[in-house]
This record gives sequence, C-alpha cells and structure tokens, in this order.
Amino acid sequence: MQRRYFFSLFVGLVVTGLMSLVSLTGCKFQPGFGYNQGHAPEQPIPFDHSLHAGKQNIQCQYCHNQVERSKHSNIPALSTCMNCHMQVKTDSPHIQKMREAYDKGESIEWVRVHMLPDHARFNHAAHLKKGVNCQTCHGPVETMTKVYQYSDLSMGWCINCHRQPENKAPLNCTTCHY
Amino acid sequence: MSDMNHHHTDQELEFKKSLRPQTSRDEKYWQSLEEYSKDPEFMKLAQTEFMSSPLSEDSKDESEGGWARREFLKLMGASLAMATASCVRRPVQKIVPYSKQPEEVTLGVPNYYTSTYFDGSEALGVLIKTREGRPLKLEGHSDHIITQGGTSARSQAAILSLYDPERLKGPRKNLFNEKRTNKDMVDTTWDKADAAISEQLKKGGVAILTGALASPATRSVVGEFCQAFKADHYSWEALAHDDVRAGQKAAYGEDLVPVYHFDRAKMIVSIDADFLGTWLTPVTFTKQFSKTRKDFSKMSRLVVFDSNYSLTGANADIRVRIKPSLQLDAVMGLLHELVVVQGKSSYAGNTQLKSNLASFASSAKKLGMEPELLKRIANDLWENRGQSLVVAGGLAASTAHSLSLQVAVNLLNSILENDGKTVEGTHGLAALKGSNEGLLELVKKMNKGEVKTLIIHRSNPIYGLTEKSGFAEALKKVEMVVCTSDRMDEVSQYAHYILPDNHALETWSDAEIAPGVYSLQQPTLRSMYDTRSVQLGLMTWAFLAKQGPQRLLAYETFYDYLRNFWKEEIFPKYGKGLSFDAFWDKALQEGYVGEEKNAGARGFKAESLTQIKNVKSLDEGYELVLYPTVQLGDGSQSNIAWLFELPDPITKITWDNYVSVSLATAQKLNVKDGSLMKLEVGEDSLELPVHVQPGLHDGVLAVAVGYGRMMGGEVGKGVGKNAYQLAQVVNGKVIHSGLPVKATVLKGTYKLAQTQQHHSMEGRQIIVEATLKDYEKKKEHLIHRHHTWNIWSGHQYNGNKWGMAIDLNSCTGCSACMVACQSENNIPAVGKKYVMQGREMHWIRVDRYFTGSPENAETVFQPVMCQHCDNAPCETVCPVLATVHTDDGLNAMVYNRCVGTRYCANNCPYKVRRFNWFNYAKLIEKPMHMALNPDVTVRVRGVMEKCTFCVHRISQAKDKARQEDRKLRDGDIKTACQTACPTDAIVFGDMNDPESKLSKRFKDERAYALLEEWHAAPAVRYMAKIRNNGQESKSAETHNKGEHA
Repeated sequence: MQRRYFFSLFVGLVVTGLMSLVSLTGCKFQPGFGYNQGHAPEQPIPFDHSLHAGKQNIQCQYCHNQVERSKHSNIPALSTCMNCHMQVKTDSPHIQKMREAYDKGESIEWVRVHMLPDHARFNHAAHLKKGVNCQTCHGPVETMTKVYQYSDLSMGWCINCHRQPENKAPLNCTTCHY
Repeated sequence: MSDMNHHHTDQELEFKKSLRPQTSRDEKYWQSLEEYSKDPEFMKLAQTEFMSSPLSEDSKDESEGGWARREFLKLMGASLAMATASCVRRPVQKIVPYSKQPEEVTLGVPNYYTSTYFDGSEALGVLIKTREGRPLKLEGHSDHIITQGGTSARSQAAILSLYDPERLKGPRKNLFNEKRTNKDMVDTTWDKADAAISEQLKKGGVAILTGALASPATRSVVGEFCQAFKADHYSWEALAHDDVRAGQKAAYGEDLVPVYHFDRAKMIVSIDADFLGTWLTPVTFTKQFSKTRKDFSKMSRLVVFDSNYSLTGANADIRVRIKPSLQLDAVMGLLHELVVVQGKSSYAGNTQLKSNLASFASSAKKLGMEPELLKRIANDLWENRGQSLVVAGGLAASTAHSLSLQVAVNLLNSILENDGKTVEGTHGLAALKGSNEGLLELVKKMNKGEVKTLIIHRSNPIYGLTEKSGFAEALKKVEMVVCTSDRMDEVSQYAHYILPDNHALETWSDAEIAPGVYSLQQPTLRSMYDTRSVQLGLMTWAFLAKQGPQRLLAYETFYDYLRNFWKEEIFPKYGKGLSFDAFWDKALQEGYVGEEKNAGARGFKAESLTQIKNVKSLDEGYELVLYPTVQLGDGSQSNIAWLFELPDPITKITWDNYVSVSLATAQKLNVKDGSLMKLEVGEDSLELPVHVQPGLHDGVLAVAVGYGRMMGGEVGKGVGKNAYQLAQVVNGKVIHSGLPVKATVLKGTYKLAQTQQHHSMEGRQIIVEATLKDYEKKKEHLIHRHHTWNIWSGHQYNGNKWGMAIDLNSCTGCSACMVACQSENNIPAVGKKYVMQGREMHWIRVDRYFTGSPENAETVFQPVMCQHCDNAPCETVCPVLATVHTDDGLNAMVYNRCVGTRYCANNCPYKVRRFNWFNYAKLIEKPMHMALNPDVTVRVRGVMEKCTFCVHRISQAKDKARQEDRKLRDGDIKTACQTACPTDAIVFGDMNDPESKLSKRFKDERAYALLEEWHAAPAVRYMAKIRNNGQESKSAETHNKGEHA
C-alpha cells in the first residue's frame, strides 16, 4: 500500500515536471501538445487560396479532383495548374518557375499542412458523400492567403462529430484504425 | 543475482502450472508422434502452452537474442530523454504531385490488371493489384476459364522477387582469365555486350538453354532465333517430366505432357503424382478436384499410392504407403485384377499383357494392403470407366523403371476408356518440354566443342542437376556463355555476360495456359533497373548480325513482336467479328482468349507392352525418394523469406529440409526428430537431420529438393541441403528416386523449427471428420452440439455481422492463404530461431492433425485465424481496451492503444494472436518496402496483432458501394485468404443477411464452431470433412469425449 502511494506520487511528479518543461521551452505554434492546429508552413510557391477559391471562385474539386473518388484528396498535378497558367499571369516569376518545372517534367515539392499519424485513416470521399463540406474541417480556405491547419485534427475532434446522432457515423475503432 | 531470479521464476512457473486444470487429451487426433507416444518431454511442453515463456526468457544467450531486450530498454530510455528535452515537431513531409497527371491513377485507389504468372510449371491467370503504379499483390482471376481464381503459395510470393534487393541492376561482364578460375564481375553496357555477342554468334555453334517456356510468342522468338543462327534449343527444368513424355511416346507415339481433367473424374488413382501440390499444373488440378468433392451425391474418390507423404496423399480418401519399387506393382496389380482375374476389356486375351501381368498376381500382398481393397479400387475404376483417371509422375516416380510405370498407367487409362475424356493427349501442354535427357545431350555437345555460344535463360542446371551430369565442367569449354539471370546465382557465375531479364511483372509476354487458351502478361511497372527482356535481347542480336527471318528483325520492342504474333497466329482463330485492336483489348480485359480443345481417344500401341519390365524390390535396405515441396517447388524462388517460413503442409517444419523416416525405421535405427543421418547414394552423400514421419513406408528415406542454394540470395543461402545432388545419371537418364541408399546415424543433433507443437488444441471437438457412409447415415448427428449458456448480455448487431465459413472438406492444406495473408497484411517473416520459440507471425495458419494409426496415418487440415468471437476472451482482459468489439461483429485490434501486455494472447483459446517481439519492419531492406500494402498499418515492436478479417477490404467495399449509391452486396468483400484459395474453401460474408452464401453455410448440418462449449461464440464456422473411402468408420463416435459441459 505504502509502496504504491509513493510510486503514484513519483509518477505524478514526473508528469508535472514534463509538462512544465514543455511550457518553459515554449512551443508557440502548438496550442495542444502534439497537435498542429494553426500550422502554416512556407510553401515553395506562395499559392493563394483566397485568390483562386475566393476571388476567382474556382471550385475546390477543380484542382483537388480526385477527392470525391478517393480517401485522399490529391494535391493537383502541375498539368492542372498549367491548364490556366499557360495563358494567365505568365509574367509572374512563380508561374515561370512552375512552367520551367513542367517543361522538364519535374514536380513542385509542396510542404504538407495536414498530417494525420500513420495509424489514423481518414476517408475524404466518404465524408463528401455524406455531405460534409470541405470548410467544416479545413475552415475558410477561400479566405486564406496561406493555408493553415484550421482544426486540431485530434481524435476527440473526430469523435465529436461522429457522436452526434444525426450524423449516423460509425464509432468503431476499426473505422479509422486498422 | 540473476541466477536467483531465474530460479525464482522457474518455481513460480511450476506453481502456476500446478494450479491449472489437468486436461484430457484427444486420443483420436494427434499432431505429432511425441504427442502420440506421450513423450514426457512433450507433455511438459504441451502443458506450458507457449513455446517461449516470457518468464524463462533466456538471459544467458547474449550473443543472439539476449541483446535485443537490453538494447530495447537502452533505446527506449534514450528516446524518452530526447522527447523531454525539447518539444517535438513532426518532421516536415513533402507532397510531390505528378507533373502530368496519369489518367488511370487515382491516389489511394488500386488498379487491377489481368495478367499471367508462370512459375516454371504452371501459368496462372491473375489480377495484379497496383497502387500508384506499383504492383502490390497477385490475386486470383476468378473469371479465368482455366485457373478460375486459384493461386498457389509460390505465386503469392512472387511479388517479393520483384522487389528483391539482390536483383542485378544492369548488365554485367565477367573478366575471366584463360582457365576461368576467377570471377571478376564488372558493369558493362548493353551496346557493348550486344556488339560482342552478335559478333560471336556469327561464328556459329549456337545453343539456347531455357527453362519451360509457357509463352507462345517467346517460343516463336526462340524458334526464329534458332533458325537465324542454326542454333539448337534445349529446354530444361529441375522438375522435368521426361518420364511422362517417354511413356506417352511409347504408348501413343507423341512426345508430350497430356492435359488431365480431374473435374471429369469420379475415381482417381495417383501413383506418386502430387497433382494437388507440385505436379504439372497443381492449382488448376486443385480447382478441378475440389469441384468433384462438393456434391456428396456424386463425390469423387481419390486413391493415392504414396512413396512420400505428399499433399495429394494427405487429401486421399484411401492412401497406401509404398516405396518407389512398388509403384509398378500398384498399377500392374490393378491391371491384373481387371484383365486377368475379371477378364475385362479387349486386352483380356492379349498374351503379351498376360505374360507381363503373370508375376503381379500377389501385388496386394507386396503393397501391404488387403487384396479386397485392391479389388475394390479396380472395380471402382472399371465402374467409372470414362470417368476415372490414373496418373503417375513427379520426382518420386523418376526412377529407373519409370518407363514401365508410365506405359502401364497409359494402358490402364486406355483400358478404362479415359483417354480422350479425362486424359487429353492430342494437344498436350506445350510449355512442359523440359528434359534431362536433352540437357545431357547438350553437355555431350559442349564437351565435343560443338557449342561456341550458349545462351542460358531461366535455367539453372548447376543447382538443380547432379554434378555428375558434367554440366559445370562442360560449360568451361564454351567460348561464350550468356546468362539472363536476374541475380548472381550458381549458373550465372560461369557466364561471360550476365544480361538480366525483366521481372515477369515488368515485361510483356503471353502464355498458353491450356491448349487453345491464351493469356497475356502485362507489365505493371516500368523496369526498375537497367534490365531488358530476353526476347528483345534475341531480337537485337539477330538484328545486329543481320540474320534471321523478317519477323524477328522487323520490330524494335518485344511488345510490337507480341502484338504482331497475336495478330498473325491467334487473332485469326479466336477473333471472329472483331477488329484486331478490339480483340487485343478484349484479351487484356478478360484475361484470356480461346477455349479448351478437346479431342478423341488415341490408339494404344500394344507393342509398347514389351517396355514393361519387372522391378526388383529390395527386401532389405532403403530406397531414396526425392520430392519437391509445396512451399519451395524446384527451389528457384530462393530469396523469399515468406516461402522458407511457410511450414511444410505435412511436417509443419520451416527453414530446413530433412530426411523423413517411418516410425519403424526410426525405432530400428534408434533415431528421433533432430538426429543426424548421413545418406549415401553411390558416391554421393548428404548429411541431414531426421524427421519421423507417420504414414511413410518403412523402406523409404524421403528428402525434399529445393533447399541448399549456395548462391541466389542471402535468404535461402545455405538453408537446408541440396538433395538434387543425390540424383544419379544412369544410361543417359537422370534418376531421382528408388535408388538404394545407405543410412548411417551420426552423433549430434540438429534443431528443426516446427510450428506444430505449440498449436495443440487439447482434447476437444476440433476437427469433425466422417466417412461419406457415416455422413449419409447420421447427417444431423454428425456434430456434438454442446449445451451452452451465456454470462454476457451480448452485443447488438443491427447492420452487418461479419463471419467466415471454412469447408474442411475442400481445404487441401496447400497454404496459399497463408502467403496471401502475409502479402496482404504486411506480415513479417521472423527467421528460424524465432519460429523455434513459437514467435512466427502468420495471422492464418493451417493446422494439420494426423488420425488413425501412426503407421498409416491419415491427415486433416484446418486453417485457423482469429475467430472474431462475440464473447471474445481477449477483449475482457485487455487493460487498455486495445482489443474491442465492433458493431459489425469484428474483434478489433487497435495497434495504437496496445501496450503489449499480451494478456489477450494468453486468454485466446485459439492461439491466433501474434506479438511483435521486435521491430521487424525496420529490417525491411529497400526496395522491399515497396511491397508493403499501404492500406494496412505496419506494426511496431511491442504490439499485438492478429487477423482482422481484412477490415481494410471491408471498408473499401463499403466505400465503393457508397460511391455507387447502392447497398453492399453479398460477395463484394473477399478476404485475401479467400481470393487466394484454389478450392473455394473459404467464404466471407454477412451473417445478418439470410440470403448470403455465408448464412447458407452456417445453416449446413456440417457446420460447427471451434470449441463451441466455451461459448466464446466465434464468427467462424468449420464444415466437417468427409472422406469417401466407401467404408463406415469402426468407432461410430466421430467425436471424442473431451471435457465439456
């Protein structure tokens, strides 16, 4: 009994120590431990969603065209960009950079914004089919000049929606983890 | 200190054991001889339940396994420290989209391509699953007219040979000195090699040595190349069928391997032809055979005379153990009974035959069987004439008297009017031209210096043929040897140029799967390395030398040649009413064109009867039997760990070959499992560990070939011994079996890694088996139904409730499901050492139980995977809820919650949970990681895993149905084991759908649940095995009296 008490005290101390350590070193971009909400990395080309999806009113699915068929939402191939940018704004140095890569058959290496751990599986197509909007999870992308992670993408956040009876969403572990 | 600890835990273990209830053991089914004879050591082991107890973890063994634990703790400590030192950001991940989007690729959605996989003996119609342009898995193509979705363990493993890190990356050249004693390999270029070879070819004296060629277009290229350079083509396979072809030639005049139709046969007699395992086209045969076993009103009967305990023997209704010198007695005994005793058939008056048969009057006695039984078999054959089939062949029948045997078998088939019905010999299997005799001729020519250039493709006689064939020596007399191996192996080390061929998944080709049925082989990714298809090589050399027919020189790629070949040769026959392009697309889409040819009976040449010579059977001493195994076949897939770790279906031994001896022989020689024995055949000898095999003839010593590769990959290097070296060359014929062998017992022991003993299922209704007569008599009472009650409130299954049914009557134990599961679910191989500790990772295993007397044991197989119990014992003991129940009846395993207490594995009555003792995934060498299925999590160290019912496939099928706005249909979901199974033994589906195939099987009177009395309420049902041996079982009780309520 005595022993167990000391042990839990010890564990408690260690945990508090760890937590204070984290707060002291300061992870400013991380609101929750381990989550990336607000994460907005620099991209090789400063693609502006507020211009494309906002001002020009281009549908999300024009570029992310496989999202309705696949669990993944694809980052568009360069060929999709060049559909317009062969003519549009060809004088921009960024467009010229893309054009160069396209002519060489190379790709642009984008930096991933939304990262789920490997053991969590999310299916874009299934959610779209149920009528979930892109914005529900990704936020007002049409206003973002630089895309950032809107939701914290934590498990609690997923479950929150899945628990609502009106959503009739499955709550099995195997829905996301297998 | 540590010693004291050890002592303490041992005591603890003993104490815990004494608390366990004593279990009675089933007398009828036993898994091994130790169990049968109640060896005290084994009984101790069986009580321990696990092979490796965590309590007695060997800490002394620092050099090998001991370090891992220590290192693990050290590393753990280090990473914890790092985690606390700074706040961790996830690593920056890059997303690299396509530059130009390929039309057919949808990220995350697999594409399936019809194709063909040829393993050297059988061509299979397959679907190749690709993700983002990389092949991941071979699936059976269920709409294929011949193979109908069946696959084999070896074809399932083929994907690993594509991503084999030891493949050659480009053309190589050997800087031989004059005597060719050195091996200095350097890289070369295709241009240089082509120039040198095409110059050399002009000198003449060209020969091509290939393995079996299933592709008609490739045969055409080779033929035209031979025409161009007046070259000779030799075909050789380690498992050549000289015997069958010689017999056909003698009896019917045509040198070919006939096509057999097991689906048309109601009575089958096999003399050492392992047609369900390794002989000719085993997957097709298994498919055909299984079809004759499903309807009990017209169930076929299989009688096997077995020198080795083969997979076919294990599936026999009546199995007679023989030795090779008795093979002829079996056939002649049947002939004697029919022709002489009963005076049946037109041969009854044939004097030559009568004199032949005179000495076989007492065959039954020699065979050690009841004369009544032989008579019954003969009568069954006669009654089913036209619908019966007698086959003989394989390495075990590659004896000095093989011609006599084959002629006798052909005569029997002709007498029984089977020729033209179940045996179709007018066309034959064009691929199987491999010949030992041909190779020996080539050796002669090489020795005479007549061969200046030798091109070797997919053929390795230095490994697969006895040294005494002289091939290796003769090779040194050839001016230039060109080899197309994809790796450095036994034969390519002697080549001047090694010009690696594309992998089958990287190249266009075709196959003639059966006479009149053609399939295309599609590439599913671009060549990974600087390799070139062998066909294009031949075409290039002919082009450079400006020699050869127009068709050979006209095309720049083999694809163009192939298309043209199909246009000229195949399109006119099968493309009626279509344009060629439409025909080609149809062939690609459907996976095959054409239909099987049928022809009438052939006339048996009575003069061939003079070829039948009596065989002297030794009363004393032992006869050698060589046999290929289901897992390794001829041994050409030498670098695939999955296959080495796949337990042999009969012996359940992994990672080794061994000499199998019978129980009486073991007693006589005073050996047991793991004793060492030296076999001497003529001047050759081999030292092997002993395995005591029930049901083996007392005069037989059986050894598997396919092991003992010295080159060809790190995985198979030095695993087992090369038993091909025991074969002998006699009178220009290679003889594998029936040779007198001297056995000497050596000192010392050798540990064999067997997976069977830690899968004991103690004394309960585990396998239900009945003879057909029993079954017809007491259908509903076949299975003992237990009275069960529930202490749980139970689950609600409002939507789907997934379940599986496995028909033990169909399952042949071929183990294709095991490798399919491994490929689908990223399951690692752990190596011999850990198999010995019971740490193999297979999610599905095939248990094998012997029944009856050990001398003449019968076999039953039972695939066991997670039973997805409703009242799952594993779920209740998990302290972290890592294994929980889902509302569709799955027993979910949540890896990210698992902390590795292993309580669940302890509490699982089926022993199907597997623990990741180490970080196996880290050992995956590039580019083998490309074979990993991205839909299944790769598990890390310290995590429990088990069969998921292919939950990712369930979710994929659901997604698909949702996209198509429809409900899930029965059959939408097929698990990996189900698609691999060549007998359709496995059915997966929804128990809540009363119309599903599964529900119907659940209602069948043969269906029962494993350990029903425990009321874990599994979602898996097994269907009782029925043995059609024409008898009622002696003990009416098919079920034992184990402990139950």
